[in-house]
Amino acid sequence: MNDFQGLIFAYFTNPNLRELINVRTAASLPFCGRYRLIDFSLSSMRNAGIYDVGVIMQRDYQSLLDHLGGGKAWDMARRSGGLRMLPPFGLPEYHRGNYSGTMEALIAVGSYIQDIQSKYIVLLLGNMVANIDLTKPMKQHRRSGAEITAICTDRGGDGFRMTYVPGEDGFVKQLLVDTDDPKAGPVSLEGYIINRDTLLRMIDECRRQRIYLWHREALPRFLEQGGKMDCYVHTGYCALIRSVDSYFKANMDMLNPAIRHELFPADLPIFTKVREEVSTYYAEGAYSRNSLVADNCIVEGSLENCVVFSGARIGKGAQLKNCIVMSDCIVGRDSSLDYCIVDKDVSFSAGTVLTGSEKLPFVVPKGSKL
Amino acid sequence: MKKTCIAMLLAGGQGSRLYALTQSVAKPSVPFGGKYRIIDFPLSNCANSGIDTVGVLTQYRPLQLNSYIGSGQPWDLDVNNGGVYILPPYQSAGEKGSWFSGTANAIYQNLAFIENYDPENVLILSGDHIYKMDYADMLRDHLEHDAACTISVLQVSLEEATRFGMMNLGEDGYIKEFEEKPKHPKSDLASMGIYIFNWPKLRQYLIADDADPNSRHDFGHNIIPAMIADGEKIWPYHFQGYWRDVGTITSLWDANMDMLSPDLINLYDPNWPISARSPICPPHQTGPHAEISHSIVTEGCEIDGHVENSVLSPSVRIDVGANVLYSVLMNGAVVEAGATVEYAIIGENAVVRAGAHVGAAPDGSEGWSVATIGPDVEVRPGASVPAGAMISKSEEV
Repeated sequence: MNDFQGLIFAYFTNPNLRELINVRTAASLPFCGRYRLIDFSLSSMRNAGIYDVGVIMQRDYQSLLDHLGGGKAWDMARRSGGLRMLPPFGLPEYHRGNYSGTMEALIAVGSYIQDIQSKYIVLLLGNMVANIDLTKPMKQHRRSGAEITAICTDRGGDGFRMTYVPGEDGFVKQLLVDTDDPKAGPVSLEGYIINRDTLLRMIDECRRQRIYLWHREALPRFLEQGGKMDCYVHTGYCALIRSVDSYFKANMDMLNPAIRHELFPADLPIFTKVREEVSTYYAEGAYSRNSLVADNCIVEGSLENCVVFSGARIGKGAQLKNCIVMSDCIVGRDSSLDYCIVDKDVSFSAGTVLTGSEKLPFVVPKGSKL
Repeated sequence: MKKTCIAMLLAGGQGSRLYALTQSVAKPSVPFGGKYRIIDFPLSNCANSGIDTVGVLTQYRPLQLNSYIGSGQPWDLDVNNGGVYILPPYQSAGEKGSWFSGTANAIYQNLAFIENYDPENVLILSGDHIYKMDYADMLRDHLEHDAACTISVLQVSLEEATRFGMMNLGEDGYIKEFEEKPKHPKSDLASMGIYIFNWPKLRQYLIADDADPNSRHDFGHNIIPAMIADGEKIWPYHFQGYWRDVGTITSLWDANMDMLSPDLINLYDPNWPISARSPICPPHQTGPHAEISHSIVTEGCEIDGHVENSVLSPSVRIDVGANVLYSVLMNGAVVEAGATVEYAIIGENAVVRAGAHVGAAPDGSEGWSVATIGPDVEVRPGASVPAGAMISKSEEV
């Protein structure tokens, strides 16, 4: 039996994601032409042999449920264990609205965690873009004697907010919130490996004392009480998607072959739900440069620096630059789009012109008919 | 539990005329039409027609086919009480065991599998045809005409008729005569090698056929003529639409080119999806120098060269300055900088090194044909492979 189980936080609906989270949580945001953000945390766990994974969700989770199904795509449709959806249950009566913090989410699914038999639990964010070989921090955690191992990155960037300051013994001395300066210490990817008993103890204490914030309250208390916390530094590409800006930038990063190859190596595949199986057709006169194009598209117009999801129809004479076009969009003839994020099922009639800017990409909400 | 109809898919053929492409894989698992392998067509047709039990008869090089089919999940054939089963030849206690000696013998050797499901009818399919067909409609036709056997037929020209098994009908519309590759065809209805048999009847004929030492144990040569001779009711199911046998390099290349013409066969129809086991790669990327025209491209490809009138399978790489024209590139094929590939089939994971030239445009001469590079072959930098050549791993250039 595996000593590790997984928990993924998939309830975030950060307001900086604006129209993109009208219909979904950050974890189910479409990414890189065919994936959803949660595929990265699920696949990282799956590739490390963790098949028992709970997904913590709270609201607007229809899109997430559609994507996850029974967990088959990640080999998590198991007779025993496997993928578990954890919507809120057994909430205390004082609970109102959204989870106010990670600790509250953990308290809310406390009874699920109680039932976990594994010795260790891996916690990851559902809105993380990183392909982490978790076998390394898992091994480190078993050996170091730490109760918590924080998964960190050697690269800073938009969306990162925490830094750990190591002490002389190599274990974490202090947690700096709202700092992503790699000089101070490893920057947090906000993923953790934690002993089950430690997590249950923290949940119990925090429930009684109504402590709901993980990074600002629960972890500092753990350190104050002399808890042993180690860091593991992941060295590949990573991003945390918390805003339209970081969403746009991370998608555009995928156009860089070096970054894409680093994120999608052959030996650590990223799994996702498979849609219909048909290739993309480029008509005579089509133009496609420096773009990522998923299957089942028909391209008659021109694409430059674009990420296009499956089912798109790009009409003759249409010109798309610096755009993200999600599934099943129709772009009419001679339309011109620049710096747009076009959500699913949008259709543009012929000759539509829309221009955003790099700093402020134009977000076209799901299902719009223009 | 009793089934109305189950399917038996003959996938054991070597496909010897595809030589370099089928040296290490069975013909049904040869990549086709970008995302697919040939067997995806009959398997998807089964799933779309509501036939949930499929026996796949394998014999030649079945490893890749077995792993490709797996549980049958991509075709929604991973169901309780049914599903897709790989049926290899086997040995019984006290017997020597033998290879499948013919199409009918392959079914005969699997009587026990069929009897498990106690079906009323059995659909016999071939693993090397490209088409979309509603077998449920054929079954309705079969039942309506109270037939012992229904054969799917296609109208062909009289010139083509000499290559097919031809069906001659009586006045009542039933099949009265079957001629294999006739020199002087009497009708224009060709057998597509797709049969629905009433199972008790077929069982009886298979047992009789097995006892006949002079039989070739083949449906077209033995079983159907025997049924005709006995006056059994054999009904022609008139199929209209796209259907191709892809048994030769030329027909395989032709049929791949047809995938560029939705008027011939529309793969974008959501009501009749052809499914495949996806390798799950990132979407294809077009580089800063890419030029792609009238071509199909799929997941994992990286294109920075010029691609025209071509069909690309997953994870094909075409580097800057390379030219790919009227060609079929199978999974993982690479065309390096400045190389040219025209009128060619490039096998899985084959590499055409920088500056090499494979194939040539038709020049009107009789000897011209498509060039074929087998799987894993490396065409050395600057090498030239003429039209019609077929290079396999053992004879690299």
